[in-house]
Amino acid sequence: MSMAQARFSTPRFFVYLLLVFTSLLCIFPFFWMILGTTLNPNDVVKGTLIPGSELLNNFVKATKSYNLPLYFYNSFFIASVTVILGVIVNSMAAYGFEKFRSRARDWVFSIFLLTLIMPQIAVILPLFRLIAAFHMLDTHWAIILPFSMSAFVIFFLRQNFQMFPKEIMEAARVDGAGEARIFTQIAMPSMKAGIASAAILLFITQWNSYLWPLIITLSDKTKTLPLAMQSMMSAYTVEYGGLMVIVTVSLIPVLVVFLAMQKHFVAGLVGSIK
Amino acid sequence: MKAKGSFEKYLNRSGWWFVAPAMALFSVFMAYPILSSLYLVTRRWRGLRDSFIGLGNFVRMLHDGLFWHALGENFLLMIFQVPIMIALAMVFAVILHHGIRRFRGAFRLILFLPAITSLVAYSILFRILLQTNGLANNIMQNLGILQQPIAWLNDPFWASVTIVVALTWRWTGYNMIFFLVGLQNIDPEIYEAAEVDGASKVFQFFKITLPLLTPVILFSMVTSVSGTLQLFDEPNVLTNQGGPANATMTAALYIYRQAFVINSDWGYATSLSYVIVLLAAVLAAIQIRVLGGRNK
Repeated sequence: MSMAQARFSTPRFFVYLLLVFTSLLCIFPFFWMILGTTLNPNDVVKGTLIPGSELLNNFVKATKSYNLPLYFYNSFFIASVTVILGVIVNSMAAYGFEKFRSRARDWVFSIFLLTLIMPQIAVILPLFRLIAAFHMLDTHWAIILPFSMSAFVIFFLRQNFQMFPKEIMEAARVDGAGEARIFTQIAMPSMKAGIASAAILLFITQWNSYLWPLIITLSDKTKTLPLAMQSMMSAYTVEYGGLMVIVTVSLIPVLVVFLAMQKHFVAGLVGSIK
Repeated sequence: MKAKGSFEKYLNRSGWWFVAPAMALFSVFMAYPILSSLYLVTRRWRGLRDSFIGLGNFVRMLHDGLFWHALGENFLLMIFQVPIMIALAMVFAVILHHGIRRFRGAFRLILFLPAITSLVAYSILFRILLQTNGLANNIMQNLGILQQPIAWLNDPFWASVTIVVALTWRWTGYNMIFFLVGLQNIDPEIYEAAEVDGASKVFQFFKITLPLLTPVILFSMVTSVSGTLQLFDEPNVLTNQGGPANATMTAALYIYRQAFVINSDWGYATSLSYVIVLLAAVLAAIQIRVLGGRNK
């Protein structure tokens, strides 16, 4: 008899029971949500375990009366551009702060870090006035630009760059490589794991963002999925089936990224507390 | 060969090129707004016109009962929710690390799952599940746990409970991951030594695990306290704009409504946001002082 079997005692049974019960609580809303995409509004609220036949109908409602494809495109465009821009800007900064240390740049870095404790509500009020002065209200860029630079991501990538040896940079310089080339062709390719974590972080934060888009968005043109869900929820007659479709669709990209890249996902979190 | 001085200049210049794009974005979208808020707090808006009122906004807020009520709700949620969540996260982290051998990865994955949902998405799911004639009440009535349905969203007391429950569902797994990483970094030999000395599991938890996890607990607490202080999405979506009757109105939601919904008094709204900034800084400092000082 193996150790594991011998140890399967009564307390262990209750530990597993607790875990199974908690797991059910964690999964249940997702399960009910997916089931809800096939139900009529009444059954969504009351709940049933048998899938209904309204899936197509609900999908049509979500795409015809609520323009789901446009909201999905907006969310996807905004999150993707934020990732591309954010990875470039933040990794450059992290590399600059870590590999070109100077007193002045250390000081700038500390100021960046200080803003991490700044509550969002305090920044977005004056930021809104600035965006309005730029005539950028209700544009995708107004949602992308302010949140592509992230002090947290710079901090995280800087930790990663610590492992990149300076000797390689020096050797490349002796061979006549410019700084831009050393960065793009040697440093960045060696940082794939860190970059992947940073990209996930930026994507999910922007994809799930609510308060800032809520303020900046004035029309359907820039409306993102979280805003679409909220306006569906506050309609006079709530189309619960169609709403479940939109919520499900909004969760799919994050779920896919999470399941495909769990290691990087967790690595992103680990890097942030060290 | 370049002279040493000019090489250092070259390195310094390269360094600035690398950080320049981030500094540009930071200056425009972070530094300037924060600095310009110093101007905003001295102004009062009436319609589209604004005028100087000095510290008038700060005097006005002293008599703003609803704002302090909202801030009180933030503290109430914080006092109940943060300890419950941290304790649960710790319990599950210890169970997953020390308590079981099988399905560890699967349980870790499932318990973390709520943390990937957007705040709006889970708020909407909970809002539908917790309707008075909704599924949560139905299940509990069928199981005999409840005699009467609970008005989760329509009763002031239960609406606050709802937010505590929702926040705990969303964030426990997230904090558990931090604790798990912390536990993995503790040398197993410490426990073996304690075992040899005959220390009980409870003794080991309080005398080894907790002290060694203090930095991680501190991190979780500071971020959770700061998050609760800024709470916006849940009271706006889950309990429908701080309802019922402002029972779950939070400070951030109140400020948002001052600036964008009820009226557009930027000066007053910005002044109120200063209170949150100040509280966030003070609370973080207190926690770092109390918990952080011990390990040094």
